[in-house]
Amino acid sequence: MKLIARPDDGLQFEMASREKDLLIQLLRLYPRIPSSYQPLSKAASLEQSSQRLLDEALAETRAQNKKALQSLLTDPQRLRQHGGNWRLTLSGPEVEWLLQVLNDIRVGSWIHLGSPETPFKVLNTATAPDVWAMEMAGSFQMRLLEMLEG
Amino acid sequence: MKGARLDKSPKLFYCAHMTEIAAPQMLPGTIQESETQEESDVDPGYLVICWNDPVNYMDYVAHVFQRVFGWPRKKAEFHMLQVHEQGKSVLVRESLEKAEHYVHQLQKHSLHATMERDQ
Repeated sequence: MKLIARPDDGLQFEMASREKDLLIQLLRLYPRIPSSYQPLSKAASLEQSSQRLLDEALAETRAQNKKALQSLLTDPQRLRQHGGNWRLTLSGPEVEWLLQVLNDIRVGSWIHLGSPETPFKVLNTATAPDVWAMEMAGSFQMRLLEMLEG
Repeated sequence: MKGARLDKSPKLFYCAHMTEIAAPQMLPGTIQESETQEESDVDPGYLVICWNDPVNYMDYVAHVFQRVFGWPRKKAEFHMLQVHEQGKSVLVRESLEKAEHYVHQLQKHSLHATMERDQ
């Protein structure tokens, strides 16, 4: 991934064909975090209705993200071929949104692995897809953050 | 949290803002119980806490703190390092409604965040 320009607070970057294919394959895994996974509080005293509202809000966010992702992956105007490479332009809010989606894939894959301290210690043929997704999502995330911070 | 590349000498100075608060007045015919309920809704008695985990990158956590709370980078890094080194960081003390909002924002970014009643 190579930074091309920073339109307003967004990013325009270029990817090799292979990188673009990897990113698309990765994004198709979204969402990975199981619903109702995250508690609102560690204390049992908080009302269940608050937990339900949080679960509903997170489910709605995931549904919106999934829809936006579908639109991004299928719109030929967004991901455009440039020479042998591919260019993607994202506004500031879209960069934030993509970071969120990538982190869901990273954290969700880690949960699928059984939340290990060191994912590579549980690496085998069965867990390899989750380890791959986790590491790839992390790699794209870090690259985006580096580009944002210039 | 994973990853590093951070300034390891964060400095943070909190400023206490003193505000003058008028004493509550009891008006004739007001029901005490309903007032208490309203006060508990705005009582800043809830702590928003971020907990350490081995999956979220340190840079990403600091980035999310900046976005969600509008903090400057130094303050965001201070709290991120507190999470990393001490296992958790109390990010803000807020009313029930605002604490719920912040936990939702942090969990939207897949951070391990909860809200707890301040004892």
